[in-house]
Amino acid sequence: MNTAISAEWRKLCTVRSTRYILGSPLVALAAGSLVAVLMTADWDGSTATERATFPGADPAVLAVPFTQFCLAALGALVITSEYATGMIRTSLAAVPGRRRLLAAKAAVVASVAFVTGQTVAVAAFVLGGLITGDRPAPIAAWDSVPEGLAAAFGNGLSITVIGLIGLGFGAVLRSTAGAFVAVGAVLFVLPTVALMVFPSWGEDIASLLPAGLAPQLAGTADDPVLPPALALAVMLGYAVLALVTAASALTRRDA
Amino acid sequence: MIEVRELTKRYGRVTAVDGLSFTVRPGRVTGFLGPNGAGKSTTMRAIMGLDLPTSGEALVNGRRYQAIERPLHEVGALLDASAVHGGRTAFDHLDWLARSNGIGRARVLEVLDRVGLGSAARRRVGGYSLGMRQRLGVAAAILGDPAVLLFDEPVNGLDPEGIRWIRELMRALAAEGRTVLVSSHLMSEMALTADHVLVVGRGRLIAETSMADLSAQFKRDVLVRSPRPTALAAALTTAGAAVAQMADELVVAGLDVAEIGDLAFAHGVPVHELTPRSASLEEAFLQLTGETVDYRAEGANR
Ligand SMILES: Nc1ncnc2c1ncn2[C@@H]1O[C@H](COP(=O)(O)OP(=O)(O)OP(=O)(O)O)[C@@H](O)[C@H]1O
Ligand SMILES: [Mg+2]
Repeated sequence: MNTAISAEWRKLCTVRSTRYILGSPLVALAAGSLVAVLMTADWDGSTATERATFPGADPAVLAVPFTQFCLAALGALVITSEYATGMIRTSLAAVPGRRRLLAAKAAVVASVAFVTGQTVAVAAFVLGGLITGDRPAPIAAWDSVPEGLAAAFGNGLSITVIGLIGLGFGAVLRSTAGAFVAVGAVLFVLPTVALMVFPSWGEDIASLLPAGLAPQLAGTADDPVLPPALALAVMLGYAVLALVTAASALTRRDA
Repeated sequence: MIEVRELTKRYGRVTAVDGLSFTVRPGRVTGFLGPNGAGKSTTMRAIMGLDLPTSGEALVNGRRYQAIERPLHEVGALLDASAVHGGRTAFDHLDWLARSNGIGRARVLEVLDRVGLGSAARRRVGGYSLGMRQRLGVAAAILGDPAVLLFDEPVNGLDPEGIRWIRELMRALAAEGRTVLVSSHLMSEMALTADHVLVVGRGRLIAETSMADLSAQFKRDVLVRSPRPTALAAALTTAGAAVAQMADELVVAGLDVAEIGDLAFAHGVPVHELTPRSASLEEAFLQLTGETVDYRAEGANR
C-alpha cells in the first residue's frame, strides 16, 4: 500500500496542473481579504443603525467555496487525466488491485485536500480577524477565537470531503469535463435549485448538501438542521459513498 | 509463461475474442499475428488483467494477473506507447512506476540508458518523437526485469533504425530465457523477429506453428505457359504434380522447374515460360486469414 501511495504522490507532484490548482486558493484568499477590507472601511464610515445590518467581513465566504471547487477538480483530475491519456492502463498494470489503486489515490487526495483546506480556512479566519481588528459583531465574523477556529475546521473538513467527491465523480464519469460539471452541480447548482423548487424547506435541503454541512458540523450555524455529530456523520457518509461508488465502477468495468 | 484458456471477450454484440486458447513458452519470441480487429490487443489486455474476460481465463506464470503482488517484477508490457502524460519527464514517468513496485531510482536510470533516453530523461514526454515514446514504453516494460514481456505492435510508426532496435531487443530478451509475446499484423515483420507464431482471425486461433514451418508450408509453385496447356497439364498431373489451369497458363505445385522442363521435353510439348514463384509470407498470411477478413468486411456493411 505504501508503494502505491508513494507512486500516486509522485504523479501528483510531477504535473503542472497540481501547482495551478493548489496556487489558486491563494488568489481567492486575497480577493476575499480585499472584500473584507472594503466592507470594514464601509463599516467605519457608517451610522450605528446601518452598522447593525452588516454581514461579517469574512474572507472565507469567498475563499472556501472556491477552494472546495479547486480540490474537487484536483480529486477528479487524479483519475480523469489518466483516462484521457490512457495511462490508467499503465497504473493498473503496476497496481492491479482496483481498490488498492483507488485507496492510494484517495489517500493522496484526502491528505492534500485536508492540509490545503485547513490552511486556507485558518488563514481566512486569521486574516478576517486582522482586518476587522477590535471592531464588534456583526462586522467581526466571530465572537470568539474558539468559535472561529471551529468554523475553520468545519470548512477545512468540507474541502477534504469534497476532494474525495471529485475523485468519485472522476472514477465514475472518466471524463474531466463531466466530473467538473457534476462537481459544480453538487456544490453550486443543487443548493440554488433546491431553494427555487421548495421555497419553504429548500434551505434545509441545501444545508444537507456537502457544501452546506460545515457550519452545522462546527456548531456555528444559526438555524441548524443537524447537530454537529450528525453533520459530521453525514459529511463522512458522502466521502464513503463517493469512494464505494468509485470502487464499484473501477472493479466492474474494463480499464 | 502465458496461458490463455478458452478466452472469450465480448463488447456488447461484438465478440472480440472467441474461445481462444494458447500457451506462450519462454526462451523464444512468439509472434501474435492477425489482421486488424482480430482481437490481439483485447487478448493482451485480458492477460494484463485490464479487461475482464466474458468467459475463460488468462494466466501469467500460473496466476491471474490481478493476483500478482508486485507485477512489474514478473510481467512487462508495452501496450500503447502514447499512453503517457505529456507533462511529465521520462524520468518522472518511470519514477512513479518504479515506486509503485518498490523499484529503486538506480534501476530507472539504468533502463533509461539502456533504451537510449539517458540524455533526454529530464525532458517532458509531450515533446518526444514517436520513436522516443516507443523507447520510453520499452523502458517501462523492462523496468522490473520481468520474465514475461508483451509488446503490442511495437514497431508501428518506427523508422528502420528503430524497427531494427526493437527487433534485436526482443530477440535478446528471448535469448535470456524470457517469455516474449509480440503482436503484429505484418507477416514480414514476424518472419524476422519471431521463432513461433500464433495466427488469429476474428478472435479465433487459426494456426500455431514455428516460423520455419509456416514459411515452408507456403513455399513455391511454378508458372508455366505453353501453347498446348491441356496436354502438359495431363502429363504433369500423371507425374504427381498439383496443377491449376487458366487459359494457356498452368500453376504447378509439387515439381520443380527442371522436372517440369524435362517432362515437357519428354512429351514433346513446347514451353514458352517457366517461372518459379515463391508465395510471399504476406500471401501466406492472407490465405490463412482471408476468410476471416472477408467475413469482417461484409459484416461491417450489413
Ligand atoms: N473497448 C472496446 N469496446 C468495444 N469494442 C471493442 C473494444 N476493444 C476492441 N473492440 C472490438 O473488438 C475487436 C478486436 O479488437 P482488437 O483491438 O483486440 O483487435 P486487434 O487485433 O488488436 O486489431 P489491430 O491490429 O487493429 O490493433 C474489434 O472489432 C474492435 O472493434
Ligand atoms: Mg491492436
